[in-house]
Amino acid sequence: MRQYKVDEIAKMIDHTELKATSGKKKIRNLCREADRFGFISVCVNPAHVAYASELLAESDVLVCSVVGFPLGMSTSDIKAKEAEKAVSEGAMEIDMVINVAAMSDGDYEYVLSDIRRVVQASAPAIVKVILETCYLKDEEIVKACELAVEAGAHFVKTSTGFGAFGAFEHHIRLMRRTVGPYIGVKASGGVSTAKDVIRMINAGASRLGTSAGIVILEGIKMFRHVPEAWMQPQIPCHICSVRSANMAKLTKGMYQYYTNMCKQCEYQDKYNKFYE
Amino acid sequence: MNGWMNKIVKINLSTGKQETVEISEDIRRKYIGGRGLGVKLYSDMCSPEIDPLSEDNAMILLTGPLTGIMPTAGRYQVISKSPLTGTITDSSSGGIFGAMLKKAGFDGIIITGKADKPVYLTISEDAIDIKCAEHLWGKDTHETPALIKETENIKNISIACIGPAGENLVSFAAVMNDNDRATGRGGLGAVMGSKKLKAVTASGKKEIKVSEPEALKELLFTLDRLIDKNPLTGKALKLLGTSALVRIINEHGMYPTRNFREGVFNDAEGVSGEKMAETILTGKNACFKCPIACSRKTKAHNRKGEGPEYESSWAFGAQLGINDLETIAEANYTCNELGMDTITVGSTIGCAMELYEKGAFPHKLDWGDSANLVKIVEDMAYKRGILGKELALGSKRLAEKYGMPELAMQVKGLEIPAYDPRGAQGQALSYATSNRGGCHLRAYLISSEILGLPAFIDRFSTSGKAAIVALQQDISAVIDSFVLCRFLQFAMSLSTFTEMYKVVTGIDITEDELLEVGTRIYNLERKYNSEAGFTRKDDMLPPRFLNESLPDGASRNRLVKLDEMLDEYYSIRGWDRNGVPKQETLDKLGL
Repeated sequence: MRQYKVDEIAKMIDHTELKATSGKKKIRNLCREADRFGFISVCVNPAHVAYASELLAESDVLVCSVVGFPLGMSTSDIKAKEAEKAVSEGAMEIDMVINVAAMSDGDYEYVLSDIRRVVQASAPAIVKVILETCYLKDEEIVKACELAVEAGAHFVKTSTGFGAFGAFEHHIRLMRRTVGPYIGVKASGGVSTAKDVIRMINAGASRLGTSAGIVILEGIKMFRHVPEAWMQPQIPCHICSVRSANMAKLTKGMYQYYTNMCKQCEYQDKYNKFYE
Repeated sequence: MNGWMNKIVKINLSTGKQETVEISEDIRRKYIGGRGLGVKLYSDMCSPEIDPLSEDNAMILLTGPLTGIMPTAGRYQVISKSPLTGTITDSSSGGIFGAMLKKAGFDGIIITGKADKPVYLTISEDAIDIKCAEHLWGKDTHETPALIKETENIKNISIACIGPAGENLVSFAAVMNDNDRATGRGGLGAVMGSKKLKAVTASGKKEIKVSEPEALKELLFTLDRLIDKNPLTGKALKLLGTSALVRIINEHGMYPTRNFREGVFNDAEGVSGEKMAETILTGKNACFKCPIACSRKTKAHNRKGEGPEYESSWAFGAQLGINDLETIAEANYTCNELGMDTITVGSTIGCAMELYEKGAFPHKLDWGDSANLVKIVEDMAYKRGILGKELALGSKRLAEKYGMPELAMQVKGLEIPAYDPRGAQGQALSYATSNRGGCHLRAYLISSEILGLPAFIDRFSTSGKAAIVALQQDISAVIDSFVLCRFLQFAMSLSTFTEMYKVVTGIDITEDELLEVGTRIYNLERKYNSEAGFTRKDDMLPPRFLNESLPDGASRNRLVKLDEMLDEYYSIRGWDRNGVPKQETLDKLGL
């Protein structure tokens, strides 16, 4: 089993604080933590970009801002302006949310143009495209990934953390398979332990968005000892993101879609074996 | 050496003689302090055959190199042989006593002998005095410090003492400090009582030297963030105290109910941390420099006190089928004031209830009957009346006496706490192989099997559990030797502890070296116990967990697969099939 180094994992983590209640004190702590623990970036709401940039002026830690967050339903003009402003205030990375409804409607031209506008407005910053995968069927995820690549985005990203569920291993695999080795894949939402991180990386993630970065790094350090024991398999359903979905946020159609997916899951047999 | 006051004094209460004990740097490096150093000093002084309540027995109170500096490091560790289990035992307590002992200029004291009449020790800057405690004998653990404070007239003073239970040599008496903090497990209060030592006070303002003061500031920020960001230390324990666990453990079907016959308590909601917050809670309390502040101040039946914390609320609640939170809290206050381990007290009453139900015990004790609970607890502390005397035996001796030893939910004589091992195979192995008996703190597998820290592992699987139990036992031994709160283990890796050690003492130790210290301590304890006659037969759980499955809940139809794990565990440990450390293992660890 491959053992991950703490620094290596830290350089894959966007240290994230996107809650509506997060004030300056939290942002100060976030930035100091990122610097101390060596995370690649802090991911903050646009209102905090200037402040975070000021705090991290002497640091290697990048500032990442979100755009059209969390619903993705702003117009392309507004998203582009929001990105431009964030970059002018020091953001080096932009995580934009696609128009999920347009994607479900099959309006791919709109989605392509929406992403392209943000990519253009963000240069030279890199752009990660949040698909909010919990609301998309597999074929829609594949299509959204293709559109993101075509629009010049640098990463595709699973989730905002505000949807019905977050990063799902199956989605990460699908996204990696679609975008190939040269585009980044960011797993975000519900990534809260070292074991989650290792699973996501093994599935193809190259970046992780989480507010639990510190907890994760301590976990990685703990895994140094008896790693095989820590990584023993769990009951698959217990770690399945779909199983922990927030039902209130899941549409009826997507609920049925995922229930069908469960029935065809490769772990159906294995799950039952756990209960022999 | 920085971090230490470099002074440990041995006091013989029979003669009044005091002498300084020198600790070499090599010994400090091999055993650190607290539990590790205590176990080393104790096993060098006292043979495995020693009677724990004899004059020859020693009782050691120790701090660690981080005491008085790091968050939660106000603790101290008491080490001796347990009168309840016969094993070498250490017990840790929070509050500020440890920090005050260091500020008085001492790393610890070793108490031997036995005073003719009750005495107490005052430890102030560089001086220890033995004073008459005849007027304190019979007083409880709240009255005693109040009277001492009046006599000594010192503002900043911390007091560790025993209550009537310790005086009466109840084999599960606790040493209490700062009113409601307890070295709860194993009956070390009885050892103190056997020496006619009522209390120890500590006061002083001495500075504890630190190797890297600037690095310490940065590290304290890191520790603060690690504690704050961890879901348990940063939120659940802060908001609800340890009783945050009630709902979680009950939902997992492993909240022991009616002497572990069931794993779901239907009235759990009424004794949960959430319910406590809505009803009897009046405030919070924190140990030395602790940002978690898990302790709850409460008011029940017009009495005020602290707790109950999770284990205590279970011991007087679900274990007895009692759902009256105020009575549970009151029984807890009584235990604290009289100085007894709540887990053993509650579990012994539960054992007696089942014995009575099965017709094996003559004294009427019904499940769920809370009317006499507080009085029964009092009677146990004073060994009052036939019932009080019988219950004061503890569950193992009681159940053996009445011909049904299988009804005592204990390992090596120490009662198992509030997690049914049928719901967590790793925790089961941890209970069975614990050096001090049925204890959740030697290796808290609940952390990973239920709470997902540092990661979820399948709680019903035995795979990999032996390795994780051995690892956690060793890490726990290290933390107990730094004398830090074990809640830090949820939030911090061994690597972070090495940083703390280095910044304070200047000792640059690797993670692997530190882990070897833990392994050495665990093996030394094991060696001592083996020489005292403990073997594989004692690494055993009550048959209930191996043969009777739980009827309901999320752990129903499960049994502990102990044999599957035990051989693997012994092999990882380098012990023979009888659970005794092999010579090559001892040689490798310098034992």
